[in-house]
Amino acid sequence: MTTNVNIRLAIDRVNMGLLAQNQTRAPRLYTPGEVVTGQFGFMKGHGTYVEGEDIKASVAGVMEQVNKLISIKPLKSRYVGEIGDVVVARITEVQQRRWKVDTNSRLDSVLLLSSVNLPGGELRRRGVEDEQMMRKYLQEGDLISAEVQNIFDEGTLSLYTRSLKYGKLSQGVLVKVFPSLVKRRKTHFHNLTCGASIILGNNGFIWISPTVNNEADGGDGGYAQNLNEVIPRADREVIARLRNCILALAHCKMMLYDTSILYAYEESMKYEVHELLQQEAIFDVAFLTQHRLRLQEE
Amino acid sequence: MANISLSEAEKTFILHGVEEDFRCDGRSRRDYRPMELETDLVSNASGSARLRLANTDVLVGIKTEIDKPNYLTPDQGKIEFFVDCSANAAPEFEGRGGEELALELADTLTNAYESPKAFDLKTLCILPGQQCWKLFVDILILECGGNLFDAVSLAAKAALFNTKIPRVTAALMDAGEAELLISDDPYDCTRIQIENLPILVTVCKIGDSCVVDPSAEEEECSIASAVVGVSKRNGKNYISNVHTIGEGSLHKDTMHNCILLGLSAAENLNNELVKALKLEESRVGSKHRNTIGFLK
Amino acid sequence: MSNFELLSEQGLRLDGRRPHELRCIKCKLGVFEQPDGSAYLEQGNTKVLAAVYGPHQAQSNKLDLNEVVINCQYSMATFSTAERKNRPRGDRKSQEITLYLRQALRAAIKTELYPRSQIDVYVEVLQADGANYAVALNAATLALVDAGICLKEYVVACTASLSKNNIPLTDVSHVEEMSGGPTLTVASLPTSNKIAFMEMSQRFHLDNLPAVMEQALNGCREIQAIMEKEVRKHLMQMGSAGDWSNIAK
Repeated sequence: MTTNVNIRLAIDRVNMGLLAQNQTRAPRLYTPGEVVTGQFGFMKGHGTYVEGEDIKASVAGVMEQVNKLISIKPLKSRYVGEIGDVVVARITEVQQRRWKVDTNSRLDSVLLLSSVNLPGGELRRRGVEDEQMMRKYLQEGDLISAEVQNIFDEGTLSLYTRSLKYGKLSQGVLVKVFPSLVKRRKTHFHNLTCGASIILGNNGFIWISPTVNNEADGGDGGYAQNLNEVIPRADREVIARLRNCILALAHCKMMLYDTSILYAYEESMKYEVHELLQQEAIFDVAFLTQHRLRLQEE
Repeated sequence: MANISLSEAEKTFILHGVEEDFRCDGRSRRDYRPMELETDLVSNASGSARLRLANTDVLVGIKTEIDKPNYLTPDQGKIEFFVDCSANAAPEFEGRGGEELALELADTLTNAYESPKAFDLKTLCILPGQQCWKLFVDILILECGGNLFDAVSLAAKAALFNTKIPRVTAALMDAGEAELLISDDPYDCTRIQIENLPILVTVCKIGDSCVVDPSAEEEECSIASAVVGVSKRNGKNYISNVHTIGEGSLHKDTMHNCILLGLSAAENLNNELVKALKLEESRVGSKHRNTIGFLK
Repeated sequence: MSNFELLSEQGLRLDGRRPHELRCIKCKLGVFEQPDGSAYLEQGNTKVLAAVYGPHQAQSNKLDLNEVVINCQYSMATFSTAERKNRPRGDRKSQEITLYLRQALRAAIKTELYPRSQIDVYVEVLQADGANYAVALNAATLALVDAGICLKEYVVACTASLSKNNIPLTDVSHVEEMSGGPTLTVASLPTSNKIAFMEMSQRFHLDNLPAVMEQALNGCREIQAIMEKEVRKHLMQMGSAGDWSNIAK
């Protein structure tokens, strides 16, 4: 057994910009300070501000118009939550009657004790014992999947996990990408046919785990973690391959959703899993995925 | 290092993967992540290199100065390592936040270079007892993705390979003080022999197994690691220093295994580095060229 | 005043530029993956990396209920200068520049949009060859744009000097700075013609100020145009790879 070492030269860096050659569909782009439209008849939304008679862009991005509301959406930013979004998040602090949670937002998010299902019964009162037991349920570092329930005035997101599909996450791998790379879809939970489950959090946190069997997992309220269970090698290979594929797509700024990930997974099969860390393979997988997505659209 | 917290379940997944010899990114326990190398990108340093190992990014600049040799070692030059953890890499490094880690990195390198068989300071002597070269190896950490020790040592070695020390053409003695004439031609210079220069290999103990090139997440799962300095001489690998990191302890048998793993990993690592450096030099030449750096 | 002539008889500067010419500018957004925004900018031989973290929850001791906390750090690599620096930051000059960076950025960032939050802006000078503050600020602006933080407009800085025969010079290099001529640094919001920060060293006659300042402001506008071009190029690359499918059609 030898050590695999691969040192490439910067002069041979693969130009990922080649993936962006087809610019025919590019919309009008706006940059900070640029006039978007006159103020009359329009309302300013996110990413815009009013100066004099004009609505101006405050970020670099594209325009989105809903009736009279004009906003400019940056192509990359921290997560801006919306009610109903699915997120993957990490507990950062256990406080009184609530947990502080990192969702990659502008502010720490919260998970109230009243917004979780407690083990042993769905709708019982939450007493003092529960408060004392909070760290038993979820402690610092734990990952959860949740939904954005509410947005407080100052912008803090309030999450909830009172559904069987949400809750504490067990063994698996977390991948972080820019939130705007995760495409908004009807569902963000997928049991992929290749043999693993993914949760595509709207906040850019993506969770990859062995396929979850929903029926068997129902009763415990989602707090049990079987830490003794060893994930079989075959599942591990699928998870690692998915991880590398998702990172490859993200590196190339390609959108992430079930189809793109599955295509990337299939195109990656000619490589060993660890080979997918290399620039050529990343580019190749992204390129072939892009090609298939375009064919499919036509 | 960069603040990463992991849940117990994530740690378990990583740990079992290491036991299975199939890590989260598909590597075996002995594999390194891909690296990218460029030398000669800082124009006001005598030598420079940038090494990117996955997300770990290190930039090294080497400055040369003329100094007086130490009284006890009149025929030796000097080398000094300085590490700065830029806040660009992690907000925790702001102000003096990265100092502890920086000192540890610099000290480990200093120890690795201490043996005259690893790096012969006599080659930096100009006039015994009078004048010598002092090399400042200044290391800047721009992004942290785990395994800083290895990355830093490789970048330092690459920068030393790239270093051009001006040629001293004559020395005049004037009332006991030496005055040096240094060649005006920027291409008339001496180079440093890098064959023996040590590199560091971090062997990270996760569960009951050891891995090389730990990612930031893997480092989080480990309570103890051994950094093994390896220097090559006459085709054989020698240990130039060992440094343990982490709050845990290593059994002496484990330590022995770590060192063996470090030695064998260093062999390939060193070969690939030297190969890449020579390849770059043969392709771009030693004269001025366009750097890639952070563009493209 | 200057004991060294900055302009040759042919009207060229020490590095061959004409009086109003900028040095060659190259830049790129999104050079690192860990920060929320990052940028690299080189102006001649001055090369700077900037990283932005945030907006994120402000530490409770700094937290402001009405607006964002802007936290800056300017640092120079020990090998960045011709003479080796002993330490990368903490010296008076770096602290001063840190302060001025924050001042100029505050004028551009829409601070009221992020109450209770904090934005960290870190600048690392890799090579210093004059106009360090200006290049640092320009890189920081690009990093903020990359991070998607709301700005009124770009905030751009440029320097200017004055030759012995009263001809204003744009974008002063290190040698020109050192030769004893005056240096004027202006950070401006070019579209609205506002000045966010200005500093002048040495002395010259008041009559010359408008010309020197106009020269610096002109430089700002030119630099802004270059930055704008790069931002658009960057957006185009990011969006086109995914065929703009993230955009609601």
